[in-house]
Amino acid sequence: MATGPPAGRRWRRSPDLAQSERRWGLLLAAPAILGFGIFTIGPMVASLVFSLTDWRIGAPARFVGLGNYDRLANDPLFWKSLNVTTYYTLGVVPLTLLIGFVVALLVNQGIRGKSFWRTVYYLPTLVPAVASSVLWIWIFNPDFGLLNSLLRQGGLPTSSWIYGERTAVPSLIIMSTWGFGNAMVIFLAGLQGVPRHLYEAVAIDGGGTWARFRHVTLPFLTPVIFYNLVTGVIGTFQVFNQAYVMTRGGPNNATQFYLYYLYTKAFTDSEIGYASALAWVLFVIVLVITVLLFRNARRWVYYEIGGAR
Amino acid sequence: MNPVEAPAAPASAGPEPPRTRAPRRRQAPRPVGLGQVGRRSVIWIVLTAGGLLMLLPFLWLVRSALMTDNQIFVSPPEWIPRPFAWSNFAEALTAQPFARYFLNTMIIEVIVVTGTVITCALAAFSFSRLRWRGRNLIFGLLLTGVMLPYAVTLIPTFVMWGSIGALDTFVPLTVPAWFAGAGGGVFNIFLFRQFFLSIPYELDEAAYIDGATPWKVFWGVIMPLSKPVVVVVVIFTFIGVWNDFLGPLLYLTSDSKFTLALGLAGFQSTYTAQWGYLMAASLVVILPIIGIFFVLQRYFVEGVTLTGVKG
Amino acid sequence: MSAPTPIGRRRLLQLAALGGVAGLAGCGGKGLDSSGSDAEGKQLQFMFWGSTAEQKAIAKMLADFEKERSGTTVKPVYTPADYDTKLNALVASNRQPDLCYMQSPMGYRLAEQGKLVNLYPYFDKYPDLANRLPGAYFWWDKGKTYGTQSANEIMSLWYSKAAFADAGVSPPPAEAEQAWSWDTFVETAYKLTVDQNGKHPDEDGFDPKRIRQYGASAGLGATVWQPLLLSRGINFTDEAATRSMLDTPEAIKVFQDLADLMFEHRVAPTPAQLGNNAPSTTVQLKTRRVAMVIDGQWTLLDLSQGDLDFGMGVLPKYEKPMTITLGGATAIFSSTKHEQEAVELYLYHDNPTKVDLFASGLWMPLEKRYYTDQADIDVWTKNDAHPPEYRTAAIDYTMKNSAPYFYQKLRNIEAIDKVLTPAIEVIQQGRTPAAEVLKPLAAKLNGGLLRGAYPTDGT
Repeated sequence: MATGPPAGRRWRRSPDLAQSERRWGLLLAAPAILGFGIFTIGPMVASLVFSLTDWRIGAPARFVGLGNYDRLANDPLFWKSLNVTTYYTLGVVPLTLLIGFVVALLVNQGIRGKSFWRTVYYLPTLVPAVASSVLWIWIFNPDFGLLNSLLRQGGLPTSSWIYGERTAVPSLIIMSTWGFGNAMVIFLAGLQGVPRHLYEAVAIDGGGTWARFRHVTLPFLTPVIFYNLVTGVIGTFQVFNQAYVMTRGGPNNATQFYLYYLYTKAFTDSEIGYASALAWVLFVIVLVITVLLFRNARRWVYYEIGGAR
Repeated sequence: MNPVEAPAAPASAGPEPPRTRAPRRRQAPRPVGLGQVGRRSVIWIVLTAGGLLMLLPFLWLVRSALMTDNQIFVSPPEWIPRPFAWSNFAEALTAQPFARYFLNTMIIEVIVVTGTVITCALAAFSFSRLRWRGRNLIFGLLLTGVMLPYAVTLIPTFVMWGSIGALDTFVPLTVPAWFAGAGGGVFNIFLFRQFFLSIPYELDEAAYIDGATPWKVFWGVIMPLSKPVVVVVVIFTFIGVWNDFLGPLLYLTSDSKFTLALGLAGFQSTYTAQWGYLMAASLVVILPIIGIFFVLQRYFVEGVTLTGVKG
Repeated sequence: MSAPTPIGRRRLLQLAALGGVAGLAGCGGKGLDSSGSDAEGKQLQFMFWGSTAEQKAIAKMLADFEKERSGTTVKPVYTPADYDTKLNALVASNRQPDLCYMQSPMGYRLAEQGKLVNLYPYFDKYPDLANRLPGAYFWWDKGKTYGTQSANEIMSLWYSKAAFADAGVSPPPAEAEQAWSWDTFVETAYKLTVDQNGKHPDEDGFDPKRIRQYGASAGLGATVWQPLLLSRGINFTDEAATRSMLDTPEAIKVFQDLADLMFEHRVAPTPAQLGNNAPSTTVQLKTRRVAMVIDGQWTLLDLSQGDLDFGMGVLPKYEKPMTITLGGATAIFSSTKHEQEAVELYLYHDNPTKVDLFASGLWMPLEKRYYTDQADIDVWTKNDAHPPEYRTAAIDYTMKNSAPYFYQKLRNIEAIDKVLTPAIEVIQQGRTPAAEVLKPLAAKLNGGLLRGAYPTDGT
């Protein structure tokens, strides 16, 4: 995984420095490693063990080997939720990245009221989940909701939004895309690190706006794009809130997101064993995708670029 | 482009790296074609159109916060409250001890934000700029911590906190932050790492040649160049704590220890919802974070001079 | 975690010590969750959900209980949302409260595992516990009950008097014997439904896209269709609860009638028109969005606080006038160290003379005497919140024309629900006839999901 160590190209490390880096490396990473060891690995292992039992809360657990995984393969809701979630991820991640990137470029320009615009574009992510879900329920309401009112005024056909089996997931994708602010903020931070003299170099070579974007901005932002991509995938596969607050997985399981299904299994039905098996399947899926992304990253992510071309 | 902004250059840049002089900054040549004014107006129009879309949910929140439950649901929707239900605010804010909840939330915020930024930045520095065997493996391992849905680790984690008597205290909500935000914190490590990886290594080399320790490099060279990413992590962590609902719900039982997010939930509880109050209280609750974002985003200033190596 | 170098290990140990300090700091917090561990007094924990108003009423009730029973303290654990998540975590870590609200399926499950106190042995000592509405008990076996609902509720027909006066139609009857037939219900809804131009659905030029006031709102919730099934002499399942009756012609008619109300007659808003998290019944009636609504008795609390001139009626019927009784459970965990006190608190917490929530209209009592003896009826209904017709529309209706909600009685209901709800949502979208949905649904339910019912009477 990940990229190799920064190569000391023109300079050999002394053995002293190598040892010092090792020591400091471990020391500085120690809180993170300890945190993982204390707070994360235990519960992870526990849930892996649960996944091999038929434990329902309140009843004693019984070891069933891979029984839960067997049952899962024949569970239509498992497959349905996997499909729905993948559909959602494929919609949300690219849209959020793209829009977040473009808007970050726009609000990074030397325009009047830059601070104001940045805040405005970040605003949707600030509205608390409870309130924003309620808000969107109204916005999507086919009868008195905002969207259909606007469509009607514009003489356009209306939609049943989250109330239609086929329109429910696209509606939620739209809603989630509204929250591109997080990606935007990260891109904004990334844009600040682009060395200005490189733009000047491109300009001297006669390059225009596009050349500057293509040869300086874009390569410099690949680490951040990569970050948004990976965390976007990991996070979006665990989409939960909209199904929980807005649609309850409906209509007719159209928004039965994976984590929502898992959550109801765990806490409505108290089937921790089965829920853990569901979780570990998702874990493997996300892990494989992440590993592939990291592998692939070697080809397009520019790290530590001294002179991006 | 407006290159006039002051660069957020390192104030105490530690040991100055050798043979790295940024070229004298001067006005970048203007692109030909559409004049500066024309280009800006286009951007401005695009921003306004998009901004209105972005503002919709917020305006909807504001208008609902000022309406009675009756008017909120009128069809077709109305934008101007008749009358302005200012009492929503007074009643929502006195329905629960929000001052207390605010204080509780702020205590958690301070501990969590500080711990997260410090420990995550340190770890990321180690994972990106110090060479030691197994670091990529360990970083990968940490990353797996966010791939397993929290729903199934929630109970073992709860049991763990219970077994050391930390329930109904802020400990489960704050202590993990000092261990690089355990679990979700790895996203911050990852983010720091991505930024650190785009800083030229020659800066470290130069410092090491001058006899600096890795700590000195971290504090004197890397951190001063990383203000934007620090700001991002502060913002994200702050908002995450501000809106965290499940953590406080699980770990806190005394309502004297409740947080703002828990207080809001009372307006939309299992079987009832008091919409006007919910909206009014939500509005009050998000105003501080809007303010904080507005202030902090100023650190996103163009033109950090990376003392252009090979420039 | 392994530490590859000796120095690293030492550093790690140092930091581990630091972590230990943090852990110790945690131990400083009092273990409030360990109920009754303190020697000086008996402490109980009471966990509950509800609005902020309910939170205050419950807190007051608990404080009163403490006053009346000095030596016993009760810690309220208010859990406004994600209730099941917290309860599961508490049970899994063996830190359950002494008493708590609970969804009945979880109650049955925990009771069968011996985690809940069997209240049957207390029946002799406490007549108030023994003489409750039969449908309110949760029997998991013969002679074994983990208690009753926290309070009772029924389904009713609420209406805006102004809407009926404006349309010149007589309002829904408040006595079961005079309950409207389904056809009368639909006819009345027609007269009450008007579009923006004042036209009714049976008039030319009626614009179904711009309806100003709907005649009725019913939806397709189980609490709405079950009473109608009961009215036709059937139920969700047969007596043994092993065969679904949803594919009978009677059931298909009920579901189709409910769907037609929205899509054929256009006198009721569809779930989409109404919206998930729909505005409350009070708001719908107040804004004259809807003239009458089928909703639970609990909505009285809300209705009575507004300045709306509302009325309460009985549900429409097919043959027999019927409603259902329902309510969440309160249970005592057998892990409690003070079972006696817990049982006393149990009887206190749903006592109409101790808790305001009955008189304010949110809850209905559980003991039969509150429905039969005038003096007891007055205790909770002689106030401004309860309208004059409440006596017949709620009290007599409950006693003579009700059956328990099937969700509270069937085994395996969580799995049943996962099949039932999506299927009903298909009917709700208005494109598929009820028969086409219900027949395969019944077949699915009959394929092993229906596993009988819990006893209706375990004495």
